[in-house]
Amino acid sequence: MRGTILRGSLSGGLEVRLDIGENIEEVKVGTFCVVEGRTHDFFSMVVDEDIEAANPKAFYETLSDNSLLNEVVRGTGIIDKVKIQPMIAIRREDGKVQPVKSIPSYLSRVREAREEDVFKIFGRPDRTHFHVGSPLDMDHIPVCIDLKKFIERSNGIFGKSGTGKTFYTRIMLCGMIKSGLCNVLVFDMHSEYGWEGEDEDETRKKAKGLKQLFGSKVAIFTLDPESSRNRGVHPDFVVEIPYRSIEAEDIILVREELNLNPTALEVIYVLQKHLGQDWLITFLNMDAFAIKDFADRTGAHEGALQAFQRKLFQLQRLPFIKENPADDAVERIMQYLDSGMNVVLEFGHQRSMLAYMLVANILTRRIHELYVKRSEKALGGMQGNNTPLVIVIEEAHKFLNPELSRQTIFGMIAREMRKYNVTLLVVDQRPSGIDPEVLSQLGTKIVALLTEEKDIESVLCGVNNARMLRNVLASLDTKQQAIIMGHAVPMPVVIKTRTYDETFYKEITKDEDGTFNRGLMSGPKQAFGSSAGASETDEPPPGKEFEDLMKELYGI
Amino acid sequence: MHTLIGEIIESRTAEFVAEAIRYDQVPAYGSFVRVQDGNLRVYGIVSGAYTGSLDGVSKAKAFFKSIDELKMEQPQIFELLRTEFSCVVVGYAEDGRYHPYYPPIHLSLHLPVEKADDDEILTISQHLGFLEKTLNSPAGNGEELTAAAIRMAARFHPDPREYIIRAGRELLKMLNYDTQRLKSILERVDIA
Repeated sequence: MRGTILRGSLSGGLEVRLDIGENIEEVKVGTFCVVEGRTHDFFSMVVDEDIEAANPKAFYETLSDNSLLNEVVRGTGIIDKVKIQPMIAIRREDGKVQPVKSIPSYLSRVREAREEDVFKIFGRPDRTHFHVGSPLDMDHIPVCIDLKKFIERSNGIFGKSGTGKTFYTRIMLCGMIKSGLCNVLVFDMHSEYGWEGEDEDETRKKAKGLKQLFGSKVAIFTLDPESSRNRGVHPDFVVEIPYRSIEAEDIILVREELNLNPTALEVIYVLQKHLGQDWLITFLNMDAFAIKDFADRTGAHEGALQAFQRKLFQLQRLPFIKENPADDAVERIMQYLDSGMNVVLEFGHQRSMLAYMLVANILTRRIHELYVKRSEKALGGMQGNNTPLVIVIEEAHKFLNPELSRQTIFGMIAREMRKYNVTLLVVDQRPSGIDPEVLSQLGTKIVALLTEEKDIESVLCGVNNARMLRNVLASLDTKQQAIIMGHAVPMPVVIKTRTYDETFYKEITKDEDGTFNRGLMSGPKQAFGSSAGASETDEPPPGKEFEDLMKELYGI
Repeated sequence: MHTLIGEIIESRTAEFVAEAIRYDQVPAYGSFVRVQDGNLRVYGIVSGAYTGSLDGVSKAKAFFKSIDELKMEQPQIFELLRTEFSCVVVGYAEDGRYHPYYPPIHLSLHLPVEKADDDEILTISQHLGFLEKTLNSPAGNGEELTAAAIRMAARFHPDPREYIIRAGRELLKMLNYDTQRLKSILERVDIA
């Protein structure tokens, strides 16, 4: 793509007249291009294209079988025009990167970006700059995300169903784990991140999970040990949730799933007040007489209590909720995270929204409390390890919708938890369902194709030049294409994401010095090796291969 | 070898009129001519021709006979005819350098008019500014003349079609992007 600046404005974008002979059909929306101004290079993105006639009559008069005439008029009387949005400017004199505060002068030359331009803006891949893909039509040129910035804030991965959100998430998780800048906790609703996932590509079929790639750096927790076993996964820990850890907030979060009416909260408060910490199990165990008695004593409405109890019975159907679980899951997760491991919590067959939301909320609330304490300690200089935590949640609109986001822990984390080193990575297909306030707090957004107007609008909320990016978003391919915008990239960019294949596996498991490493087994294994699952003593855990074992046994 | 085709009998800055050496030897419409005036070599494009009586007052009379018959029977009438052609000035060369604009002084009378060489035509027609002069020809036949000039010039270019397209683009701007007029001109530029 080559052309010259025709006109434009800072607010409305620039119009580029393509050179005669350039084929507008080859210029794609989202293309990364550079305007060479007099003193600055403006890095821009193609946001729109159109055909313009210097004299509108030309449109109607040129229609003739005179090929000569048509050829003359094309590019002169009727021009191919590309609209670009400058995103960032670099002063040529000293290479200083600046936000765009001016526009390039008239007739400045416009060209497609080259490799060195991409590096100038996005940096070269290294430990903290993670190669996520390449610009449109510029395969093999890596575009990097600044992981340090990425984990500073909560982030979002959005896209219609089937656009590869899971793959983008996997890629980002790999990047974060490899960098060692943070720990991740994945609430893996469909059990596709831990050991193995489906790959729609016929030739590959299976996509390796984090455990296969990072071995002992990743622990798989499960809510459904049977499902894990059926899939050939050896979980490190089976999560059980005690009734007493379910709080009013958790019940309110799953209000819709339990079909509760708005007054349920008041009932819970009454129950909590009179029954104490074990209110839930005590209440669930009450028979009709006991309820009547309780109603009489407290003045609560007996019918309401009965109805509420019937609805809460659904919780009893969740096998992982136990009265007296053998071990404390949160403690375990914290121990693993503390020792620098990453945790994937598989839900197995427990993939109902009820189970997912309940567990995610309960665990996250506890983890949040621990992190707040830890951060405070770290601030006071009492604790050294304060590695940031990134929590991955799917179907985020269920947790972060406008009604609930103020009440749930996730809303709080999205809004303010970066202070405490906990951030979210929300994965969702309906961003419009998420509280706009939360959306606007997201630092970096990776957005695949969205077609619903409302969704497009909401992911663009809080983004500069949102209007311009709208076309770009709606014209992404359904696969392997996404736009990255926000905190971790200097300018929005459309990328063809990396392919999650053998090459990627090799690269991601390779250490900086070129050796392969799956991480060292440390802390948790020694601390509670035997209880972390029978598998570890009987047979090598998944992902642990010969060299790992050798390392462990002989320290080489 | 220089081929004399006429002599200037009327001169203005923008155009000149020459009398053809013979009443029936006239340069082609739209062809390129040159006049050496001192150290200036002025170029023009033939923009029209006229044949009439020698004195300019009396009119030729119709005989209703074939030309051959007339030549046999009335040879003297041909001696009374004269042809003059007009040219628009498109530029000049001085010290071997071509300038695509009017010379500082208009041409003197009685200077010989010659056909321009192929090389000269190539040089002149590279500068598409001549199109503006033909388009605004004082004779009022701008479009026709422009088409003829492009037709003539294209032949001397290695890729005539490419040349016509380039000229067409320039013309379109001169025509204020009036594609209808451009169309009418280009339709008169038929290339084989």
